[in-house]
Amino acid sequence: MIRINCPVCGLRNETEFTYGADATVNRPALDEQETGPWLDYVFNRDNPRGWHKEYWHHVQGCRQWLVLERNTLTHEIRGCRLAREAGE
Amino acid sequence: MAEVLSALSKKLVSGHYGPAGDAGIRLSGRRLRGLWQLAGWANFETAAASALEALGLSTIGTFQSAQATQIACAWRIAPDKLLVESAHDLGAFNSQDLAVLNLSHAREAIILSGPAARDLLSQLIAIDVSPAAFRRGAFLQTGIHHVGVLIHCVEETDFEILVPTTWAESGWEVLLENALPFGLEVHSNA
Ligand SMILES: [Zn+2]
Repeated sequence: MIRINCPVCGLRNETEFTYGADATVNRPALDEQETGPWLDYVFNRDNPRGWHKEYWHHVQGCRQWLVLERNTLTHEIRGCRLAREAGE
Repeated sequence: MAEVLSALSKKLVSGHYGPAGDAGIRLSGRRLRGLWQLAGWANFETAAASALEALGLSTIGTFQSAQATQIACAWRIAPDKLLVESAHDLGAFNSQDLAVLNLSHAREAIILSGPAARDLLSQLIAIDVSPAAFRRGAFLQTGIHHVGVLIHCVEETDFEILVPTTWAESGWEVLLENALPFGLEVHSNA
């Protein structure tokens, strides 16, 4: 079981959340001419064994998008921020 | 504007249900005075200032505690969102920086009370609702039976549950089914 410490709602059960996407992916500059970076952006994802940054949505709660650091091996979570603040 | 009708009108049938004796749970409904969502962006607190002042609120509040004034009750449901129950028309505060939405027809208030009210809640949500953890004035946003709800602890054993109107009947049924073993009284008028 995963428990997530939502910055708005506090510590909650995983069942209130849904996984969104890989939060490490950055969109290439819009004037990028090479196909490689676009291919990576749209299709290619790492599947790390260990720490990973992910978007999660607190769908049965405050409905905010979050960025979690989750260990894919142990399900340990060491950080959770509002996605709106994660880029700061 | 159209009259706000209760989505629970068919469900609110007064009576005693479940085992005879003292009821552990009481369920009823309450017509909301009017419900508004105020939403903004990074400058939300500034954008909402005049609306807050009109409601008698000095701050946008915290994510844990409801704020009640003579004319309103406000819940800070997200960093840039406030849910407000008030009979006042807040539509006039709509602006470039503040999106005001009338949700009066979109939520139904179910009143849950009684000595076993916390026992019932703890069967339905995976959150600590003991008196020490969920105090008078506090509120939670969570899901009951996969429906997003807001639960407000109004008094030690009195709770108000805001349910989306379209899910009010099924939310009511889940509460009722789970309340039966405690002995249940339904009051058609709060
Ligand atoms: Zn949350």
